[in-house]
Amino acid sequence: MSEKIISEKKSQNLHDAANASLLVAIFVGVWQLVFMLGIFPKISLPSPIMVAESFAKLISNMSLPIGIGVTLERLVAGFSISIILGTLVGLAMLRFKGFGRTLNSFSAGLLAFPSVAWVPFSILFIGFNDLGIIFVVVMSSVFSVMMSTYSSVRNIPPIYLDAAKNMGAKGLALFRYVTLPAATPSLIIGLRGGWSFAWHAIIAAEILMSIVGLGHILSVGRDFLDMSEVIASMITIFAIGLVVDKFLLQKLEEKVRRKWGLDHHR
Amino acid sequence: MTKLQAKNIVKHFDHNGTAVLALDGLNLDVQEGDFVCIVGPSGCGKTTFLHIAAGLEKPDSGEILLNGKSLSTPGPDRTMVFQEGALFPWLKVIDNVEFGLKMAGIPKDERRQISQRYLDMMQLTKFADSYTYQLSTGMKQRVAIARAFAMDPEILLMDEPFAALDSQTRDLLLVELQLIWERTKKTIIFVTHNISESVVLGNRVVVFTNRPSKIKKEIVIDYRRPRLAEDENLQKYYHQIVEALKNEVIAQIKDDVQ
Repeated sequence: MSEKIISEKKSQNLHDAANASLLVAIFVGVWQLVFMLGIFPKISLPSPIMVAESFAKLISNMSLPIGIGVTLERLVAGFSISIILGTLVGLAMLRFKGFGRTLNSFSAGLLAFPSVAWVPFSILFIGFNDLGIIFVVVMSSVFSVMMSTYSSVRNIPPIYLDAAKNMGAKGLALFRYVTLPAATPSLIIGLRGGWSFAWHAIIAAEILMSIVGLGHILSVGRDFLDMSEVIASMITIFAIGLVVDKFLLQKLEEKVRRKWGLDHHR
Repeated sequence: MTKLQAKNIVKHFDHNGTAVLALDGLNLDVQEGDFVCIVGPSGCGKTTFLHIAAGLEKPDSGEILLNGKSLSTPGPDRTMVFQEGALFPWLKVIDNVEFGLKMAGIPKDERRQISQRYLDMMQLTKFADSYTYQLSTGMKQRVAIARAFAMDPEILLMDEPFAALDSQTRDLLLVELQLIWERTKKTIIFVTHNISESVVLGNRVVVFTNRPSKIKKEIVIDYRRPRLAEDENLQKYYHQIVEALKNEVIAQIKDDVQ
């Protein structure tokens, strides 16, 4: 029975992969066709092959691998700070209810605030450096983590907490053994949201205030009117965003949802 | 000996900004080892009373005494069994049953032993390592009952634990609950809106009035166990309760319509 389900799931995954490849093939085909029709000048729209050559060049001169490395390093640093800070402030909002309500009323503005709007502030406040970029990443994702912590805990079904208290759980034990696991599925969704904010922010910040990194490769491409290089970096940015979400965060979410029984509605 | 005593419990609840009187000076004594069922029209304050007894809600006035001592906070000495959905989905069945013991700081080996015993009693042995989503509603309620008994509380407070079950599963659990009660000699307060359930389970059936709730009538059922729902001899008790409830239900419907 379960083997059958697993094999069905595998063939479903294979099917999805085939569809995705088909979509990419069609996209590249149309692109090539538009290129051959000569509607746009070559400098505005290079061919897929020219972009592939750009890829090869960026890889062989190491600027792409180094760029990816630097960008991910900043991203991990910034997002880690966001997770720690956001969780702590979120918990403080829960602990001190008045503070929580007040901050919550500002949440829409904080969440919608465009990450790129932090760049001038960061340059003047911290400087035109790594730390400044990390600051933009933190400011862009910390509120998402904070609000997700706050709402995840507040949305725990009260019956779990009632049952736990009734069985003698309180204080730290209540938090560790009930509040935290009960909020986990929702916390992970919040993490995915925060990651997406952080990813937006780092590219914006690197375009405007960096001399190395993926965003910087984009801006170099622009400065040298090299559209193939711009497109090659865009594809890289797309691919990293996709891989991290799909193969890391989404997998984590699915695992938790399965274990928590959330995919088994009867 | 009196196990639990409710003295003059008054409780309002908030309904769209107006305070509605739910319990109006309720008094109830429950003797050690007794099995008391509370029936009443829906919304009459049965569950509110149970929550107050459990310490999950505070009364406006009056007090709850357990073994003669006044109580106000929730505690493992009064374990609730909820209607449904109170098991922790992130824990295996056996870890759910052990939760209260873990909170009480009982060492792991001892916990395993105790939980294993109650899982056996509720015929859940094979499901110890399952997660709750893998169980039917009836199985889940068995786990909830095992979890409550495993804590060896002073008193068990059961809030319509069988309300969501189909009738065959319910009949089976009615028997199993009587058996586990006879083995453990626990004191139980069991809230239900199902009259036949109350007649099968209760040594005493307490009928609540419509809001604001008081005790309308108490019926003592001295009859051999385990009782079955279809037992003809229980009919006369059933009718006494129906009679007592009739006017209350009509009053409740009038309240709802207004």
